[in-house]
Amino acid sequence: MAMILSLTLNGRQRTDLVPDNLLLVEYLRDMAGLIGTKRGCDGGECGTCTVLVDGVPRHACLTLAARCGGRHVETIEGIGSPGRLSRLQRAFHEKLGTQCGFCTPGMIMAAEALLRRNPNPEEAQIRAALSGNLCRCTGYVKIIESVQAAAGDAP
Amino acid sequence: MTALREAAVGRRLPLIDGIEKVSGRAAYTADLPARALVGRILRSPYAHAELLEVDVAAARSLPGVVAVITGADCDKPFGVLPISMNEYPLARERVRYCGEPVAAVAALDDETAARALALIRLRVRELPAYFSAEAARAPGAVLLHDNNSGNVLREVHDEFGDVAAGFAAADLVREARYRCAEVAHGQMEPHAALAEYDGERQRLTLYSVTQVPYYLHLMLARCLGLEESQIRVVKPFVGGGFGARVEPLNFEIVAALLARAACGTVRLNLTREETFLTHRGRPETDIRIKLGMTRQGRLTAASCDVVQRGGAYAGYGIVTILYAGSLLHGIYDIPAVKYDGCRVYTNTPPCGAMRGHGSVDARYAFECLLDTMAAELGLDPFAVRRANLLAVPTQTANGIIVNSYGLPECLDRVESASGWQARKGRLPPGRGLGMACSHYVSGAGKPIHRTGEPHAVVELRLDFDGGITILTGAADIGQGSSTILVQAVAEILGVDIGRLRVVATDSAVTPKDNGSYSSRVTFMVGNAAIDAARQLRDILFAAAARRFETRPDWIECIGERFRVRGAEGSGLAFREVAAAALAQGGSITVKGTFTVPVEYQGGKHRGGAVGSTMALSYAAQVVEVEVDADTGMVRVEKVWVAHDCGRAINPLAVEGQVQGSVWMGMAQALGEETRYEGGLPLHASLLGYPIPTIVESPPIEVHIVECLDPNGPFGAKEASEGSLAGFLPAVTNAVAEAVGLRMTELPITPDRILEALARRQRDSRIAAARGAAS
Amino acid sequence: MSLLPSFELIRAASLAEVAAARRLHADCRLLAGGTDLIANLRHGLGGPAALVDITGLPGMQEIAAEPAGIRIGAGVTLSRLADDPLIRRHFPALAEAAATVAGPTHRASATLGGNLCLDTRCVFYNQSDWWRQSNDFCLKYRGTVCHVAPTGNRCHAAYSGDTAPVLLVLGAQAELGDADGTRRIALNELFREDGAAHLALGAEEMLLSVRLPIEPRLAAGYEKARLRGAIDFPLAGVAVSLRRRDGALDGLRIALTGTNSRPLLLSGCEALIGGPCDAEALRQISKLVQKQVSPMRTTIVPAHYRRRVAAALACRLAARLFSSPATA
Repeated sequence: MAMILSLTLNGRQRTDLVPDNLLLVEYLRDMAGLIGTKRGCDGGECGTCTVLVDGVPRHACLTLAARCGGRHVETIEGIGSPGRLSRLQRAFHEKLGTQCGFCTPGMIMAAEALLRRNPNPEEAQIRAALSGNLCRCTGYVKIIESVQAAAGDAP
Repeated sequence: MTALREAAVGRRLPLIDGIEKVSGRAAYTADLPARALVGRILRSPYAHAELLEVDVAAARSLPGVVAVITGADCDKPFGVLPISMNEYPLARERVRYCGEPVAAVAALDDETAARALALIRLRVRELPAYFSAEAARAPGAVLLHDNNSGNVLREVHDEFGDVAAGFAAADLVREARYRCAEVAHGQMEPHAALAEYDGERQRLTLYSVTQVPYYLHLMLARCLGLEESQIRVVKPFVGGGFGARVEPLNFEIVAALLARAACGTVRLNLTREETFLTHRGRPETDIRIKLGMTRQGRLTAASCDVVQRGGAYAGYGIVTILYAGSLLHGIYDIPAVKYDGCRVYTNTPPCGAMRGHGSVDARYAFECLLDTMAAELGLDPFAVRRANLLAVPTQTANGIIVNSYGLPECLDRVESASGWQARKGRLPPGRGLGMACSHYVSGAGKPIHRTGEPHAVVELRLDFDGGITILTGAADIGQGSSTILVQAVAEILGVDIGRLRVVATDSAVTPKDNGSYSSRVTFMVGNAAIDAARQLRDILFAAAARRFETRPDWIECIGERFRVRGAEGSGLAFREVAAAALAQGGSITVKGTFTVPVEYQGGKHRGGAVGSTMALSYAAQVVEVEVDADTGMVRVEKVWVAHDCGRAINPLAVEGQVQGSVWMGMAQALGEETRYEGGLPLHASLLGYPIPTIVESPPIEVHIVECLDPNGPFGAKEASEGSLAGFLPAVTNAVAEAVGLRMTELPITPDRILEALARRQRDSRIAAARGAAS
Repeated sequence: MSLLPSFELIRAASLAEVAAARRLHADCRLLAGGTDLIANLRHGLGGPAALVDITGLPGMQEIAAEPAGIRIGAGVTLSRLADDPLIRRHFPALAEAAATVAGPTHRASATLGGNLCLDTRCVFYNQSDWWRQSNDFCLKYRGTVCHVAPTGNRCHAAYSGDTAPVLLVLGAQAELGDADGTRRIALNELFREDGAAHLALGAEEMLLSVRLPIEPRLAAGYEKARLRGAIDFPLAGVAVSLRRRDGALDGLRIALTGTNSRPLLLSGCEALIGGPCDAEALRQISKLVQKQVSPMRTTIVPAHYRRRVAAALACRLAARLFSSPATA
């Protein structure tokens, strides 16, 4: 079974024919060519595929693409503007919130959702918001510092 | 006049490839665009069996299947150590662990590949399987491999100094047994490989997640029967390694074999479960350790017996069992040290190298017993360490030369930062402070392949555009090694960071490198980069000297301006000098090398090469915990760690590496553990294998101690591994204060704490009853 | 592409449409947040011909005040449940429990109904197809033996929903419905002690909502034991509700998750009513818990720990609630 899917992807309207069983992560990576959204586990365990659907963080690996019709999907590629990093991206870069970088897109998307909701989060709120996103490199210390720096840096 | 400029070395420079990572542009192996066939591996459901038949006829004839391969397609065993290659990309004659690759298919799509796998039939004769070192060593056990006895891959027996005399001279001798569970690397990126085979030209290109493209290159040539020149190996962005990828892995060779069989391009993306099955983690380790100590806390002798459950194949096993013994040395001054090691084959996925390779579990046991004995003698844990410091420079009994030793300062820093003297012993119930020390090599002194070539080569290229390209085979896997090379070259040349770019790990372009293992890259490749940069600087200085009509040794370059020393004026810009240099003969390529001098390549005893290094890093840490006696949960409140990395070329990166190491030590100490049920992994997911979340991860305060090493690049040593091992004993010692229990088994999970508390309660009831009865 | 088996996605706007879809595809599965179902399908646990999206059914997303209490639609997400002012005011324990489920990204999708109807879990079941096949499958799916208790004749997979215990101690009712109509049952009757069939639903029935009575001065709480501070399912979870009258216990209910194939409403608590919540009462609570729970080898963490920690958490929670001002 397949269906016509129309959605807004990183601000642009898009229409594709998608099978009913296609996961959003497959849609993003294989059909839309957006490889920033990663696959780190066999389903819903690591958070590396976190994207925003209507501003809410979602596991792209547990979300059916077919259920995203009419929604706004945002990926790491849609954060910031061309040639300019967002404040979160800049903070993760400058504060070493990223080492190998594999968890980074999901981590930044989860943090982005947090800062939109709560521009000045306390440390405990940062921890809570990122608690579904695993990182194996940093011990999270500099990830927390990165989010704090980005929050302090709010425009 | 000396213009001020920002030094490149010592600068908190963000990673040079960080922008790609935060913007989602960084392409990892699974992200590379390709019109590729889908590869899938059929894995053994048996832990140990004779393989009588692998029937792939039905799979081959399924429409959409392009290639099916089995063990019959490669009869060359591979392995990272030339002396112990005993693994086939696809099993032949025997399978030795559940999950071992048996056959592989390349198909047009996932569904077809999955259907093809389901059509493959195995006919086997099951053999007894052994899931513990003890069972595998038992008399009469079936041997996993020919040419070994008792399923032992390697036994080690070393004695340096007179151990018996040392114990006789001690006021206190204690012996204890510690057990550490097997753990896995858990890098966030699942394994993946992309193989392109050009049938016309018989050329292979392999993109993979490797930390050691060179070893992979050698094994691809061996297993495919190709000359190395027919192969190109490329390492794209890699999502972490921690040692999982420091040996060529079966799936990488399978991808290449599939591509050749299909005469095309094959993508092999492993699942998380398959990534766990590929394994190469830190082995389950059983340690019996005995220490002798004077009343003042001075060590008189140590003896240590280590048994490692190595898994089904040799891999790095010989090195791992040797490391556990060799790194008993080099941190404290111990008059006599005896070591007995045994690496055992079992029907579990092969173990390998993992951050702190070989040293971690033995260090845990050593530091725990040291603490126990200090308590018995009424000595402060810091005082006991200080009573046994090395006097440097020195050469250890097993032949490691130590020229720099920042451990004393590490101890001072964490003692004071944690408020140890004021707080130790005065915390409320359930809370505790513990400390421990650790160390690690800055690059293995002796390379695995003794080719006579330099141990590291870096090339620098300057052309008309004025850009300088650093060509290196060193694999940046997220640790930031390419950034360090940029800083080293910029420092020597006096140019802006922005003028430099790195091209790395493409065998068609970059010089061979031995890979990212044993924390060797900063030290060895860094030194090679300095050598290359000096040569390029000489060429530029000579060109500038010609323009100024003076001698090259009178030239200086600061902030990209070349001047005659002491002269006034604006001097020459970098581009002007580069143009002058290029005018002599066009594009300039220089090559820097580094080779570890033979006296640093280890002692003369058998296995002496393992543990050899030019410099050791040192670390001390204090861990504060709170233990919940209802749930058994250990919560780490804070960690203070001091790490002597010599010159911190990039303090930001050093902090990140040290935090990551300490945290990974926490993960091993408090929760992570692989478990097998009849050989099948119970843990092979990120739910089953509890990598800590941000919620329970503590603040980690890093103190960088810069005890410069005379041989290190700018005095630098390793920063990425040495502080891992110390966490395990430090937290164990903290738990001892919090609840009065000296745990001897890792991980210290809540069930183990509750069990120990219940046992203590039972024992004290029995003791009370006995007391009442008598 | 295609990490999932192939299926048809059907969007149902009414119970009649759900029934129609079910008649068309006997093995179809209901889809709400999908955090449990999709993960299981990715592991080859089931291959339904159709998924029926039920999030569009009327009333599924509502939290509504009613004369006797509050009605929560089964499609309300756990993150909304954790943040909703009405829930936080009247049933803070439910908000707490919802906030302990998995991670925030799961909770943004996962629903109350999904959490209540969560598939049971076991180390022999929540594995890949290759794994389960290598182990001759299991009683719960495609096999004949329960590897947890091979001599027994039922599946011992553990119930692991976090919200059920709190709802049980708050006296919740479940509203079930099919094409023929709806009915209400005590939530406790929704569950059965059978890991392979733990929901007592009719063939075409589904959970529509949960109703909670507002009981004054009833204090409730939830505590969860797990290895990590997030993501993990409960090794054991305990909910307690109680009132205090003149320094004595008045009304005490305890329910557990993670220890049995169903959420377990502890029996025998009545005996403690009228007495103080002192050390002896806590010893009795501990005994009741340890006697009635039956954790099996369904998790990597040993079963005896889950029994022990369930009792410890029940005592701790009861003591805390008894001394909290809300009960006075």
